[in-house]
Amino acid sequence: MQVFNVPKSIKKDCTFTFCAGCDHGVAIKLVAQVIDELNIQDRTLAIASSGCSVLLYNVLDVDCIESPHGRGCAVATGAKRAFSANGKDNIVFTYQGDGDFASIGLAESMHSALRGEKITAICINNTNYGMTGGQMGPTSVLNQVTTTSPMGRNEQYHGFPIKTAEQIALCDGTCFSARVALYDYKNIINAKSAIKKAFEYQIKGLGFSFVEILSSCPTNWKLSPQDSHTRIKEELSKIYPVKVFKEK
Amino acid sequence: MSHIKINEAKCKSCYLCIDACPKKLIQKSDNIGSMAQYTVEFNDTKNQCLGCAICAMVCPDMAIEEVVNDK
Amino acid sequence: MTNKVLLKGNIAIAKAALESGCSCYFGYPITPQSEIGEFLSSEMPKRGLGYVCAESEIAAINMALGGTATGTKVLVSSSSCAVALMQEALSYAASDELPIVLVNVMRAGPGQGYIYPSQGDYNQAVTGGGNGDYHTIVLSPASVQECADFTQKAFYLAQKYRNPVILLVDGLLGQMAEGVEINTNPYQEIDNSSWRLDGNKDRTSRKIHSLEPNETALNKHIVEMHKKYRYIEENEVQCEEYMLDDADIILTAFGSLSRHAKAVCNYYREQGVKMGVFRPITLYPFPKKRLSELSLQAKQIIDIEMNMGQMLKDVQLSVLSNAQISFVGKPVGSWLKKEEIINIIDNIIKGGVNAGI
Repeated sequence: MQVFNVPKSIKKDCTFTFCAGCDHGVAIKLVAQVIDELNIQDRTLAIASSGCSVLLYNVLDVDCIESPHGRGCAVATGAKRAFSANGKDNIVFTYQGDGDFASIGLAESMHSALRGEKITAICINNTNYGMTGGQMGPTSVLNQVTTTSPMGRNEQYHGFPIKTAEQIALCDGTCFSARVALYDYKNIINAKSAIKKAFEYQIKGLGFSFVEILSSCPTNWKLSPQDSHTRIKEELSKIYPVKVFKEK
Repeated sequence: MSHIKINEAKCKSCYLCIDACPKKLIQKSDNIGSMAQYTVEFNDTKNQCLGCAICAMVCPDMAIEEVVNDK
Repeated sequence: MTNKVLLKGNIAIAKAALESGCSCYFGYPITPQSEIGEFLSSEMPKRGLGYVCAESEIAAINMALGGTATGTKVLVSSSSCAVALMQEALSYAASDELPIVLVNVMRAGPGQGYIYPSQGDYNQAVTGGGNGDYHTIVLSPASVQECADFTQKAFYLAQKYRNPVILLVDGLLGQMAEGVEINTNPYQEIDNSSWRLDGNKDRTSRKIHSLEPNETALNKHIVEMHKKYRYIEENEVQCEEYMLDDADIILTAFGSLSRHAKAVCNYYREQGVKMGVFRPITLYPFPKKRLSELSLQAKQIIDIEMNMGQMLKDVQLSVLSNAQISFVGKPVGSWLKKEEIINIIDNIIKGGVNAGI
């Protein structure tokens, strides 16, 4: 019995162009599997954002639009409202990095959650700006060394990181908010079930559903893929707890 | 007989699958891949593969394209 | 019998948008265009259509990106300083070839300026306020009736050419009430099934994007966009000509100020001066060819604007003869009165002085 093959919602013969060991590939695979399992490939619209996450549109075999940096949830809002105005029940989700979702796009993200837009947002949190070379992002943790916090993130000088899943859970329009990780098989399976739940919440029309995924960025962290996962397990998941914060 | 199919052209030599396989059936191959490093190969002489698909789930590049479980 | 009603320009725009089959409105309040959103906030929900009072203009125009990508007609309205906020997404929409209709009911700038009327956003609309090598189609109404008619035309042109269209409305037109008839949409529906994103049910999946890392592909895309602009220029340029047949003095003005120009023209005609008015209706593409032809017979061309001479550059680029080009303008506030304009033009005609305000 075939227990695994490349998901139907992944384009044929495409190659992922992420760095070796980057968790983006795992996250996209999980999204594709969920789309397959829910049988929504032919009515799903993906919103890709700026940064590494934009590469989603090269690999995911669903309709896709690229959003300006940070505006993913606004673009998704417009698309979902337009579908709804035409009596269509298409599924709309965003795939954004933490800089996109929680820094430049925080207003759009949070207000979409507050309005309870019936969309799903997936935020890849790798605690830095990956595509531009590893600068300090909104989620870079205290003491983290990045190219723009060479002495480490200092709370007095740089301020504090944002705990996105917790913040989104506080919004009344949010029906599901969870943080997951991908550093081992168990977490990957849990992440998949959270992503699936988020999509199911949208299908049921219950409000804004959100999954923050703690992801590795081996290139910019200057760690091996294995050590990157160890960092998530032993350091990041203590600061950013892996759990479901809200489930309506 | 449970087994996996690896597409070496997609392997970026991160070796996460080597660590993840509970039976340690994946190892570095003799071939140099796209990242100028050895790719991985599946080596199951004793028919130990569980067909658990853990390797395929952890692979970030979907280089493990197929897992068959015949147990 | 006509169905003429007394409406503010803003309401006429909103009603005409509904008549055009607009299914979604996204906006954020700003004077002097708030009535558009206010009116639609009660109409859209009644009809099961989409209305979002967005958290910002940035969000509103990005919602329009998403909405239009699904093949739906979307209206966004705002004013000057807030349209400035929308330029990023407008640049995306131009590259993505998404048919957003954006109404800019102008106020005075730069910066916050004030709610005084002004025509200070000509450059912003015509030369593209966002980054990159693109254009938006720009329509300029001169009456409340045209506010309604051009809204319908804007939706048609946007769909036909897959290009954002800006309706550049004078603040006073948005606020002024005139008799207007909201016509049934006279334009044919454009089939957008070849590009819209509504699920890959019976086709391969599509992507709409402006990111293009391939140099050749990006060059090709921009060249194709400009071929489209040239085609639009050949086919959609629109202007109004008033008493130009024998005119050797041509007044140029756009929007509602062209009505003042006509009054000025009437005055001079009574004095025996051969004057006419040239009013561009499409500000982009500018009716350059026609003005070039007309300029050959003219001795004087006097550009009148409620700004410090933004359309003036397009006028100067169009004139092929040795006709003297002068400018009459004022940046903000009460529209230049007929008498004020006449005073200045008298000077220009007498002394050939290139007068300012």
